[in-house]
Amino acid sequence: MASKVNTLRHIISELRYALPSSSLKNNLSLQYILSQYRKHKTTSEQLCKAREEMEFMANTYLCYLKSLRLQQEIHDEFHGKGERTVRETANLVGFKLPHDPK
Amino acid sequence: MSKALLNIFLNENSLLHQLFVTRNVNKLVRNYATRKRFYKNTGILRSEGKFEVTLDQRKLKTPKGNLFVVENEPLALAVATEWDAQKGNIIQSRMHLTTLCNTVIDNPNNLTKYDMVNYITNYLDTDTVLFQDVESDLSNLQEAEWDPVITWFNKRFDVNVVKSKQMDIPPVSQKDKTTLSKHLLSHNFATVCGFVYGVDTLKSVILTLACIERFLTPEKAVLLSRLEEEYQTGHWGRVEWAHDLNQQDLQSRLAAVVLFTYFNSQSSKLQSKATQ
Repeated sequence: MASKVNTLRHIISELRYALPSSSLKNNLSLQYILSQYRKHKTTSEQLCKAREEMEFMANTYLCYLKSLRLQQEIHDEFHGKGERTVRETANLVGFKLPHDPK
Repeated sequence: MSKALLNIFLNENSLLHQLFVTRNVNKLVRNYATRKRFYKNTGILRSEGKFEVTLDQRKLKTPKGNLFVVENEPLALAVATEWDAQKGNIIQSRMHLTTLCNTVIDNPNNLTKYDMVNYITNYLDTDTVLFQDVESDLSNLQEAEWDPVITWFNKRFDVNVVKSKQMDIPPVSQKDKTTLSKHLLSHNFATVCGFVYGVDTLKSVILTLACIERFLTPEKAVLLSRLEEEYQTGHWGRVEWAHDLNQQDLQSRLAAVVLFTYFNSQSSKLQSKATQ
């Protein structure tokens, strides 16, 4: 049980990263995920044949959100942003521009 | 010494200067045809038992101009979330669920289900996990990691696929291909589209089906697909902007495939006990 709640927590935190900063409370996807979690809760009234299946899918969605975020982060860090200015290049090799104070 | 170098650098005609400094330096970032995010909220609409995605008041359309319609709610919600997750620019190359749905709706290559099933069964001849190294650390690793998946695959689909240590592997027998075709054809068009996307991602039919049938998690399936690369990076070092980027890309693609095929082939598995 604990691991399932943990997955849910991770999904919520990934959604927070992914979506614009407005409140998550009204987010349809989150409402859907929560309703699924409630619906598939095994109780004395219902028999859930697909418990592992739902767990697998929750983890897969988590993997989807997380991988997209990490991919974006790596891209942002390493992707070229065009050429450097003279000052940046000079700083890179430890030089100063002629008109800079020594 | 450094002063001389600086003079060379600042001399407009020198090669060094030409190399580092170009006019309008900061305008050289390439601009692809990007679109800014033009909507505030995303949502879904239910119409005639199907689901559409809305961006503010507009309905989402496919690249061919068809209306974007999917069969079930969670898929529509996931696509809406994907569009909501676009900050600044809309980057469609990283919206795998939307891409998969678009492919199914537009069918840009005019493929039939039979074409795709044919493609998949023929891909099995060159499946990544069937070609293993000869007597080395790598081959031990491959045996330990890949063989259980091959065994599972043979048992699950009632086929007899064999691995090879040389390149002399006999192609998968016609009987096995027919058996696998029969299984694949029992799925609907959208699901088979998902299979093809997964096979192209992992370069392996066996790993794709193992992941879709929930024998492997997406992370594990991608790891197995990149097993040799992982082994080599363990030896030569890992480069974040190549290996990690590739890994995350494959993982997101495969996870999208698993979700997509699941949503397109699910039936409600929940049963309420009869109440007296």
